[in-house]
Amino acid sequence: MARGLLTPAAATATVPARPRQLNSRTAWTTALLLLLIWSLAQLGIGDRRLVNPGGITQVTQFVAAAFQPDLSAQFLRLTFEATLVTVGYAVLGTFLSLILGFAGSLLVSETMWKAWMPTRRRPTLYRAPWAVSRGLLAIPRGIHEVIWGLFFVIILGLDPLAAILAIAIPFGAIVAKVFAEAIDDAPHEPFDALITSGASPFKALLYGLLPQALPDMISYAFYRLECSIRASVVLGMIGAGGLGYEILLSFQTLNYNEMWTLFYALFALCALTDLWSSVLRQRMGRMVTCTTSDATPIEGLAELPRRGQAGAPQGDRFISGSLIAAGALTVLSFWYIDPTISKLWAPKTLTLLAGLIDDVFPLSLTLPQLTVLLKLSGQTLAMSVLATGFAAVGGLFLAFPAARNFALPGKLMAAGSKGRARRWLGWIMLVFTRGLLLVQRAIPSPVWALMLLFVFFPGVLPGALALGIYNLGVLGRLMAESVENMDERPLRSLQALGTGRVRAFLYGVLPLTAPRFTAYTLYRWEIVIRETVVVGLVGAGGLGRLLAEQLSSFDYSGVAVTLLFYIALTFMVDLASASIRKAYR
Amino acid sequence: MTDTPIFELNNVSKQFGNTAALQGVSLRVMPGERVALVGPSGAGKSTLINLLNGSLLPDQGEVRVMGQDLARLGTRKLRAIQRRVGTVHQQFDLVGNLRVIHNVNAGRLGDWPLWKAVASLIYPLNTQAAFDALTQVGIPEKLYERTDQLSGGQQQRVALARVLIQNPAAILADEPISSLDPGRSREIMDLFGALSQQTGKTLVVSLHAFEYALSHTDRLIGLRRGRVVFDAPAAEVTPAMAQSLYRIEV
Repeated sequence: MARGLLTPAAATATVPARPRQLNSRTAWTTALLLLLIWSLAQLGIGDRRLVNPGGITQVTQFVAAAFQPDLSAQFLRLTFEATLVTVGYAVLGTFLSLILGFAGSLLVSETMWKAWMPTRRRPTLYRAPWAVSRGLLAIPRGIHEVIWGLFFVIILGLDPLAAILAIAIPFGAIVAKVFAEAIDDAPHEPFDALITSGASPFKALLYGLLPQALPDMISYAFYRLECSIRASVVLGMIGAGGLGYEILLSFQTLNYNEMWTLFYALFALCALTDLWSSVLRQRMGRMVTCTTSDATPIEGLAELPRRGQAGAPQGDRFISGSLIAAGALTVLSFWYIDPTISKLWAPKTLTLLAGLIDDVFPLSLTLPQLTVLLKLSGQTLAMSVLATGFAAVGGLFLAFPAARNFALPGKLMAAGSKGRARRWLGWIMLVFTRGLLLVQRAIPSPVWALMLLFVFFPGVLPGALALGIYNLGVLGRLMAESVENMDERPLRSLQALGTGRVRAFLYGVLPLTAPRFTAYTLYRWEIVIRETVVVGLVGAGGLGRLLAEQLSSFDYSGVAVTLLFYIALTFMVDLASASIRKAYR
Repeated sequence: MTDTPIFELNNVSKQFGNTAALQGVSLRVMPGERVALVGPSGAGKSTLINLLNGSLLPDQGEVRVMGQDLARLGTRKLRAIQRRVGTVHQQFDLVGNLRVIHNVNAGRLGDWPLWKAVASLIYPLNTQAAFDALTQVGIPEKLYERTDQLSGGQQQRVALARVLIQNPAAILADEPISSLDPGRSREIMDLFGALSQQTGKTLVVSLHAFEYALSHTDRLIGLRRGRVVFDAPAAEVTPAMAQSLYRIEV
């Protein structure tokens, strides 16, 4: 130890008191751990049998069928047509959600409210209507597209329109929020200058803000298409048609070879859409990663090249080609799906809607019902916690080997490692983990649930696992990307000091990535709690299962009560997630 | 020419939080005048410009533009007055990823119906007028270029063309040259001077650079800490008056 000029003063000073161990962070951590333990207890391990041994033979048959998909011309044709239907719903749903979302974005944009209200005189006057409009928008956004789908199926019947609207309304609300943020984030000087020269707010928006926000909007629209494809598959499972419908049908008739044909079509479709969307967004310099945010865009997390480098690179053929292709796809989808829009105002629809409202009210809730609902709400919460926990822990293990800058030869944690075997190991791990994550997120969670129900009895466990597997695919990819974007300098300097691998990881990697990991995980939790309804509908458990039973017995009053519990639960999780994220920041 | 001042401030004060940006300022600007607002940073020059174009309201006193008290006008009437006043800012306030023609046409938005504003973004309209305005500021060949491809001096010309196409009675310029190099600064100031002389438009320009105020305007208003220190014809401004603005208080 070098003793120099600094030591005498240090010798007399007292060591500062240790910071208190009890703070909002540790309190939340403890609460989360308790919640996790409670959720594990909900699995009922030991109380009853979880595994269905009879299902094992079916699983082996199912797995074997992967190598013998049904490739008969007739079934390939059916698969092709189902794929077109799924794409059609997704494209039209996205198209409509963009229209609704753009209109809605004006109503939830701070900038527009400021320009509309007489803020010259009273600068804070706009806040109340702005807050109200934002609050109203949270309602359609908070309800999962499948619930919207069920609603539209009741009043419109099994019509393509039901699927399109089920995508368009919740996604429209999300688009509105994101577009409003794009408008509010764009530099305001041009807009203000136009307002000052006497232009109306809408025209000033058109010339002053939209051109700047447009690249972000286009990029986000393509991301939305990725999400719509997945939503369209899931909506198919509730009867709308397309790939999801055919998968469910083949499953119910235990025709695994057919199922695998459909799966392969699904993989191809998801991979193609993701590829198209991600290449386009990369070209536009705006990598808002896919599935970052199904319901909640990441606030302040996106270290994206945003403002300042306005606009896409000029004359990029891929971008203009993509825009033309998207337009053509919309027209073709409209022609192929041919939704009967007049159904919206048809007398029959109104009668059905009135009948539905009649059936729903008056709402009633008896004590035994309340007990059941509370118990199922608890199960649903436990399911979401376990699924999120599974995805987070899994993501922690898979994210590092899946990151391109981590274990590959010469990269962060493999610097100076010797031997051919080690080099290969890095590559093998990368390809394997990436492939695994891809498969996990290509198969929608209800399909995972169907497969798990072969071997597990219905309950929290298969639901949590199905959601956990799917969301691990999403979360793992996000985490890997945040590892790739990590600041590498602290780690390099630790390694230069000769710090061992594990210690360098603990001090140089984990502290840098942990904040993002936790934030992503908490956002995922908000999405997972909404998705529990989907796995419930196919029979996994929780409130979703009750919903499925009530729907099949046309107990719409019961459905409404269950939905109210559901919505209350999702808002509670949103609130908790927001508070925890704040505490950890 | 009429006797109505184009701009009139009567005992105007404006606060931002605890800071008084302007205190008891009274002044009149007649049509056709070329006025420079001079003074150190924080003297209240920008606040004054923003009061004149109606983007701010005074806390006390009244601001009249073409005889109208801005505080008493409804939205529609205010916009009508604002169309008669064009403002050029230090940062040009152009949209970088739009073509020059759209940024110029933006000056006409107040007069255009909505359909025309939308249509022109897809198929540029009003090309002749935009071309003429760009000719006046000396860059007609840039009509269809993307604005962020232009240099700072050229962008300031586009901003000026936007004001010209708005065809206002008065042009306000808030530090129009402070982000330009000396060579470009002189060109832009020459342009302001020439345009105001040719068209007879009133010009109120806030300037950091005292020498340009002396050489390019007729009247100087010296501001310091939100108060008018002097208000005199350019010919009568003495070095002592200039120093009184920038003197450092101990």
